[in-house]
Amino acid sequence: MTKRLVVGLLLAGLVGGLAQGAVTIMVLWSGDELAAFQKVADAFQAQTGITVRVESVGRDLPTILATRVAAGNPPDLAGMPNPGQMAEFVARGALIPVDDLVDLTQFPTAFVDLATVNGKVYGIFISADLKSLVWYNPDALYAEGLAPADSWNELLYITETLAARGKVPWAVGLESGAASGWPGTDWIEDIMLRTAGPELYDQWVNHEIPWTHPAVKRAFELFGAIVRNKAYVYGGTTGALSINFGDSPAVLWDPTPGAYLHRQATFIKSFIAGAHPELDLDRDVAFFVFPPIDPKWGTPLLGAGDLISAFRDTPEVRAFLQYLAGPEAQAIWCGALGKLATNVNVDPSIYPDQLTAQAAEILKGAEIFRFDASDLMPAAVGSGAFWKGILDYVSGVPLDRVLQEIEAAAQAAY
Amino acid sequence: MKATRILKRLPLHLLIITLAVIWLAPSLGLLVSSFRPRQDLLSSGWWTALVTPSYWSKFTLANYREVLTQQGMGRAFLNSFIITVPTTLLTLAIAALAAYALAWMNFRGRQFLLMMVIGLIVIPLQMTLIPVLRMFNVLKLSGSFPGIWLAHAGYGLPLMIYLLRNFFGALPRELFESAFIDGATPFRAFVKLVLPLSVPVLASAGIFQFLWVWNDLLVALVYLGGFEEVAPLTLKLSLLVGSRGQDWHLLTAAAFISMIVPMIVFLSLQRYFVRGILAGAVKG
Repeated sequence: MTKRLVVGLLLAGLVGGLAQGAVTIMVLWSGDELAAFQKVADAFQAQTGITVRVESVGRDLPTILATRVAAGNPPDLAGMPNPGQMAEFVARGALIPVDDLVDLTQFPTAFVDLATVNGKVYGIFISADLKSLVWYNPDALYAEGLAPADSWNELLYITETLAARGKVPWAVGLESGAASGWPGTDWIEDIMLRTAGPELYDQWVNHEIPWTHPAVKRAFELFGAIVRNKAYVYGGTTGALSINFGDSPAVLWDPTPGAYLHRQATFIKSFIAGAHPELDLDRDVAFFVFPPIDPKWGTPLLGAGDLISAFRDTPEVRAFLQYLAGPEAQAIWCGALGKLATNVNVDPSIYPDQLTAQAAEILKGAEIFRFDASDLMPAAVGSGAFWKGILDYVSGVPLDRVLQEIEAAAQAAY
Repeated sequence: MKATRILKRLPLHLLIITLAVIWLAPSLGLLVSSFRPRQDLLSSGWWTALVTPSYWSKFTLANYREVLTQQGMGRAFLNSFIITVPTTLLTLAIAALAAYALAWMNFRGRQFLLMMVIGLIVIPLQMTLIPVLRMFNVLKLSGSFPGIWLAHAGYGLPLMIYLLRNFFGALPRELFESAFIDGATPFRAFVKLVLPLSVPVLASAGIFQFLWVWNDLLVALVYLGGFEEVAPLTLKLSLLVGSRGQDWHLLTAAAFISMIVPMIVFLSLQRYFVRGILAGAVKG
């Protein structure tokens, strides 16, 4: 009897929730991210009276969403894992274009382009993460009479100068348990973007060019020129292979710096702070953008982002999309999580520290932004053969053989 | 006399103990890990904690506390029960009636029906998700508990019917003949004869279905969705890992919390379990 009552109440609640003045959104977030998004939803509800029902399904989102779409009851909106997945839903005719619903001039063009399929925009980025950063210890670098690099040649100059003085320029850590090798994939991706350009990069992601393509080979060679040189890397190649990615940057801030440069995404800040609690992050820690290589492609940025797309066009959905795109929602979301806002009008004071604000500033100027390629590739390649290929290459396996092996895995996976 | 027998059996016992230890090691590792602080979990193996007595004072309940105090945990527990208990009862009721009919009632097409049911066992559940969800949308069953009861019952029924039919079919024919001579209707024979004789197999079928539904994530996500008011424990736990897998120290504790209910169910019905499986298996 009681159970019946409970079920009845639940059903009533469900029907009530589906009534007018509500939007549903399916997301893959959990924990802090889910809580932060709930805050955004609550603020929207307080302003408009429109209820937002957030449905978190975790990492199974692509499967669940595809099933719901095929069965004809998608949510009103959904968080897309990446632009590739979004394009698949566009191809099925499931998403509605947002060109006319949202003021797209609030975003850097790179983020609008990334969500564009066949000339129409199908999603908005509410935040992003930035990976194309080279971290350094300003005191140590300036003490050597060196400054942040604006070009690849300058970066090589810093590297060679330090090595000539008997110092170690780079800290590289590729170890990450079962995921070892991934920090190297970010290097290759950043170099690919700068030497081959975004179009070829996209073709590489979709395996429309083979891994043995000269452009891929060149990216590996440029990476190898630094990381495979025993004099350029802290601990030599053995160090690069065996030092944990999170521990590797710590030597930059040792009393006698063990190294001077470290290429890693924004998140590494918390690892640096953990290893050296005495540091004043805003004063002692700094980064510059991974410099351009081929001037033709400028300085593309590598990273990831949180993308929201809409399956239904209702007044409530429009209102919510507009709110999510605006500076207010992004201030709540990014302020809580330390992510970087994509809306150029977001006040930099929302960020927890100056480093994050700086990264956000870099993002605002983005001309080309691309998602981490290894995240977009099939798991057998992007979180398998590619990682292993990095480790093999750094440990001395000939490049042609490394690329042939990844290509073989890709042939089977796509 | 007794000593030589023990000695003779020693190799066998050693083998069994070795197998049991190998089998239990992963669970033991999980259990030990669930009591270790996060940093230690990430820096050293669980066995190091076991062999270092000085470490034992560092065991903590913090992981359990964190999991249990998560927002919405109680709700998720309740949802899992609302999903699992009616589903199990529904499946057993339908399966028992169907199995009885297939075993003891004479009607045209009985063999064909049985073959169909057995054939359904091998159909992958994933293939049915979209068409069934489409039907549920029309019937307004998606996102509701009755919908998922039906879905789970549907997925469980073929195997349950097969299991029960084999057991019912092995009951002595004379029993039914005398009952019918005494004027019992088929339904009366079912209630008074078959059910009391089949407690073991019903219990084991019940355990099967309970465990399957309790541990399910996919079916619940598709038909019920991830909204807080309907999401089962399994979804809540899968979200605990964190988007970067950073919280897996919580997962160790969460795994044990979600295991508690199936363990209680299994242990309390266990003595029926083995008998039930054997009973069904001997005569095919």
